Amino acid sequence: MVKLKKRKLPEAEIPTSSMADISFLLLLFFLVSTVIDVDTGIGMVLPEFIPTEQQEFVPISKDRLAAVLINENGDVLLNNEVIAIPQISKTLKPRIESKIELPGNKKLVVSVKTDRKTNYNLYIQALDQIKQAYFEVRSEYAQTKYGKRFVDIDERSEEMKEIKEKIPITISIAEPEAIKK
Amino acid sequence: MKFQKKRASTKQNIPTASLPDIVFMLLLFFMVTTTLREVDVLVQFRLPEAKAIEKIENKRLVSYVWVGQDSRIQVNDSITKLEEIQKIMYAKRVALPNIIISLRVDKNSDMGAVTDIQQELRKASCLRINYSAMLKI
Repeated sequence: MVKLKKRKLPEAEIPTSSMADISFLLLLFFLVSTVIDVDTGIGMVLPEFIPTEQQEFVPISKDRLAAVLINENGDVLLNNEVIAIPQISKTLKPRIESKIELPGNKKLVVSVKTDRKTNYNLYIQALDQIKQAYFEVRSEYAQTKYGKRFVDIDERSEEMKEIKEKIPITISIAEPEAIKK
Repeated sequence: MKFQKKRASTKQNIPTASLPDIVFMLLLFFMVTTTLREVDVLVQFRLPEAKAIEKIENKRLVSYVWVGQDSRIQVNDSITKLEEIQKIMYAKRVALPNIIISLRVDKNSDMGAVTDIQQELRKASCLRINYSAMLKI
């Protein structure tokens, strides 16, 4: 009898050494084609568009209003007083603080108005100062009332709700004047 | 007397079988946490700097408007005329009701250009905006 030779099976293996290289390539592609940087900026809510004919004039009492005017030369007028941009925050802070305990319809309204020729950077600096004033008041309030830093308070908690109710950020962007075009 | 080198009797190679898995993990992490670059920016701009800035928490809500040094306006992938912004933005807003418009405006532009864009956005009722700014250190 012939002895049947057992055929030896060749080792069936997929070469995986290049797998790492392939996945590194993929990884590189994603690294290059994606953006990680977070978008930062000053958030605002624009007023609704109402045609000029339907606009109603709502008077706001003087002590509620802080009007910031920036002209094309970069001069800033806060309630008819000439002021430097870095001082805006300091000037507004006590006014915001004095209105913490007042009801919602008596809070401070900051109105920002610019000329068409005003530099955008100046506008952002002024807006930044106003926001800073609000943020400082908010964080001081959080510190004294809850003993927490404002940034540590959860966005959905009752505490945050109360702070936002007591110190709402109302910045009004004034309707541009057609005459100055 | 012959000295014998001490040598461990184990195999000397590093096992690389799990390397692809590790890299795939990394890859997956990047795929999940990032968004694809959507557009090419055609205008040149330098953002203003500010201190009291916030992060936009949800990147998928954001839509950009660029204003370059030469005050050209770019929306989506192309340079756009001012009058067309309203139409484009309204379509975007219908698709995504709580859209945030991020204004990436060059810091030397005039407020006139910004005001015009804002008026167009108001007409399209895209009211949530964000003046894009870098953190001032």
